[in-house]
Amino acid sequence: MPMADPKPIKVVVLGGGTAGWMSAAALQRLLGGLVEVTLVESEDIGIVGVGEATLPHIRGFVERLGIDEAAFMKATHATYKLGIDFRDFGRIGESYIHPFGSFGEEVAGVGFHHYWLDLARQGRAEPLGRYSLAVEAALANRFKPPAEDASLASTYGYAYQFDATLFGPFMRDFGIGIGVERIEGKVIEVRRNPASGDVTALALEGGREIVGDLFVDCSGFRSIMLGQALGEEWEDWSPWLPCDRAAAMPCAHITEEIEPYTRATALAAGWQWRIPLQHRIGNGYVFSSAFISEDEACSALVGNVEGEKLADPRVLRFRAGRRKRSWSHNVIAVGLASGFLEPLESTSIYLTQMAITYLIELFPQDGAIDSRDRDEFNRLVDMEYDRVRDFLILHYHATTRDDSEFWNHVRTMQVPDTLAGKMALWRDTARVEKYGEGLFYDASWIAVYVGQGFLPRKHDPRTALPDPARVQRALDALRQAIGAEVAAMPGHCDFLTARAERLAAAP
Amino acid sequence: MSEPRELPRRIVVAGAGQLGVLAAIALKRAVPPCEVLVVATPPDPAALADSAPTALPFTNRLHDRLGIGEERLVREAGGSHRLVVRYLGWGGAGREGVAAYGATIDARLKTGFARDWGGGARGASTAPPPGSLGEVLAGEARFAPPSGGADSPLVDLDYALRWNVPAYRDLLVGEAQRLGVDYRRGAVGAVRPDGAGGIAALAVEGAGGIEADLFVDCTGPAAMLLSQLPEARREDWRGALPVRGLLYGRPAEPLLNLEDRVTLLPFGWRAELAGRDARHAVMGLRDGTSEAAALAALGAEPGGMLALEQGCAAQAWLGNVVALGDAAAHFEPLGWLNLDLAHRQLALLLELLPGRRVDPRERAEFNRRAALMAGRVRDLLGAHYAAPGAAHFGQLERSAELARTLDQYTRRGRTPFLEEAPLHVQEYSALLDAIGHRAGEGPLGHAADPREGEAAAAAFAARARAALQSTPPYAAWLQRALGG
Repeated sequence: MPMADPKPIKVVVLGGGTAGWMSAAALQRLLGGLVEVTLVESEDIGIVGVGEATLPHIRGFVERLGIDEAAFMKATHATYKLGIDFRDFGRIGESYIHPFGSFGEEVAGVGFHHYWLDLARQGRAEPLGRYSLAVEAALANRFKPPAEDASLASTYGYAYQFDATLFGPFMRDFGIGIGVERIEGKVIEVRRNPASGDVTALALEGGREIVGDLFVDCSGFRSIMLGQALGEEWEDWSPWLPCDRAAAMPCAHITEEIEPYTRATALAAGWQWRIPLQHRIGNGYVFSSAFISEDEACSALVGNVEGEKLADPRVLRFRAGRRKRSWSHNVIAVGLASGFLEPLESTSIYLTQMAITYLIELFPQDGAIDSRDRDEFNRLVDMEYDRVRDFLILHYHATTRDDSEFWNHVRTMQVPDTLAGKMALWRDTARVEKYGEGLFYDASWIAVYVGQGFLPRKHDPRTALPDPARVQRALDALRQAIGAEVAAMPGHCDFLTARAERLAAAP
Repeated sequence: MSEPRELPRRIVVAGAGQLGVLAAIALKRAVPPCEVLVVATPPDPAALADSAPTALPFTNRLHDRLGIGEERLVREAGGSHRLVVRYLGWGGAGREGVAAYGATIDARLKTGFARDWGGGARGASTAPPPGSLGEVLAGEARFAPPSGGADSPLVDLDYALRWNVPAYRDLLVGEAQRLGVDYRRGAVGAVRPDGAGGIAALAVEGAGGIEADLFVDCTGPAAMLLSQLPEARREDWRGALPVRGLLYGRPAEPLLNLEDRVTLLPFGWRAELAGRDARHAVMGLRDGTSEAAALAALGAEPGGMLALEQGCAAQAWLGNVVALGDAAAHFEPLGWLNLDLAHRQLALLLELLPGRRVDPRERAEFNRRAALMAGRVRDLLGAHYAAPGAAHFGQLERSAELARTLDQYTRRGRTPFLEEAPLHVQEYSALLDAIGHRAGEGPLGHAADPREGEAAAAAFAARARAALQSTPPYAAWLQRALGG
């Protein structure tokens, strides 16, 4: 029953980084007249802004806000991304791509990977990635948007690699354009109602006070409202994910080609990212300070980077874990203020987007927070974080590397029971624990298990049924079909250029 | 290097009702060299999955996979289509609602990528469907099964099939014979334990002990195999579901209809199933229902009565014994979920098909998912008794998932995603609406531009017109399909 317009809920977003502007813009756009969104940020406080690689879900976010993909890509110097190339994780010298896509289809109700395992046992299989269109297109530096039917050309998706220091400002311009109020200022105090404990206002330097009904904490690692003011407990995951620093440094391109994928190369005390953008390459060494010093890590990074250095290494500090509850009282933390998982699978912006989506779905009705909605939000956010956490730990734990203390630690550490159960199921039966909610499904788990050489001992008995020659022919045919699809795709650079020219020519 | 596990050499399916025979077909097709033996125990009228003349859309897909064409069900087993269920009285006296199947499944989910990576409407549903094509077609008595083309106006429509149980079972028996499934009649006796929590051999009257690698218990609520295992435990659903007995009507004169009905009564419910060769009525009765009241409400000649003790096996797979159907979960046939659950658990068994030796982790994964499936069925039934018109059943036990679903739906119009639920979120929303739960309005609804709603309604009206124009009267289609 539409009633007279209720008084808009005053939402105050603290922090002008990626999470802050994504939150402010989404709330303003999707909740329209129900909210008045104010964002408080300070020009003196830098943003982390290294989340340069994304997951395909970002496309839904951009689309839902009504942002033009081409304009967004241009503003952030974005390239397309088909997956992540993991090098030296399972064993030095080995690599695999975790694609935004799947491998061949199941046959007679038995997953493709069982047949692949069986052919591999007989020494007659190509690497698993050769049976994935996304992997083959990535390695060929080709790109084309996927088909929207059920054909082979629909078996992949794409995300973006973009300049995160430009994504925040792009979202800021967009947010301000649709009516988000921006306030420049530094918070000196979080004011709370002594009776309820709810946050009532942010006191800024210079005496200004920003009152609100609902507060979104996007203040990054400092977690000014949820962590500092409300003292929400932190769940520490560093025993499983010991990396706590990243040294970041951009460099120039060295070739004409731009790879449509991100590279993650395992190093002695962590791993190095390489994210090709239109105008430069983002690089960084994610490491554990317990195993290598900052100086050593920086010089390792400088030594590894191939192109002309565009800046000195900059070190960021973090720790893996999440707040026990991301929504407490009338404060909802989004992004790093809520939790952190290292960028190994580019999940940072996804986790931000996920929290925003759930916040909008569970947004307080008529300004009053119902504890059941808060509990539901926290249940969903915890589920998402926990599932990503297990998947990340797998990358470290499923290894044979014993060349450094770091790898000895992660290889031998005790992992969470939830992950141990999944790995044991895979090891004994080649089956993947099934869930329908959260991130990373069968194809992703299989890509990493197989890619890191964590092969099962046994697979489905039904692989023994078909004539091996027929299975071989089917797999060969799939490879040929993938080869033909890839050959028909334009190069990644050509596609980017052609698109830009088309846009420029448009009236 | 990974090795394939050894194939099972012999599988025994106990129970020769429509479920047991289909399970045997599925297993024989999955492992043709394996000897699959059906032991025909005397049929148990309380085996509701075996007596069900209908299921849900999932069964159509399972049939497809097993080579049992819908066309054959129509031609040889009295098959007919249900597009919607009409629920009367659940929202209160005089109120009714209609729930369709798959009506608004997001088209984006059809791409291969979306299937493997998620996306589209995999999460919670927060928007009411713009309308249901199934309801429009059922109202005009027009329907023909869609060809499957992506441009068909019926592409998002899903439906359930009804059939004649003996004819359907005969068809399955013929198919099982063709595939080489063995058959032995005889009552099941004691089992010989294998020392690993399972069965080494099963005593069958007149046949001695039958050994097998895997035993599938489709014997009905008695769970003649599973119940003999020391680890067997049963979960009682009586606190959550009030029905304690069923009263069947005798089959009545045929009725061709794309809609079936479920009516709430003071002492339970009445389900009326249309059919080409007969109509079936069945009532679920709570404790203490007087016979006179029940008979008066039946609206058909009385047939049999059945006592019902609702519950499920805490673990449907113990040792090398997998229980399916009523042996795994025995519950009131409200909404015809009995065979649907049995078929989904059968499909799960096919997915996790064990080798000759059962792997305990695989079994645990089966039990984890099978328990979720059963629990969500119990919850879906429980949602009926939480409907506004069902207040006279009092406060029944509700799982955390059901409480959350009802709370989110009624306060916010949001249907949370549930792992292994019997319905898609959009179907779930449509059902909650049909049984009279009032959807709350979430902030997205408040904030939405009313023009978007109008545009969606206009688009739906256009789709509905196109669907009606391209679809023949159901009776005419049926006549053609039967070669008349």
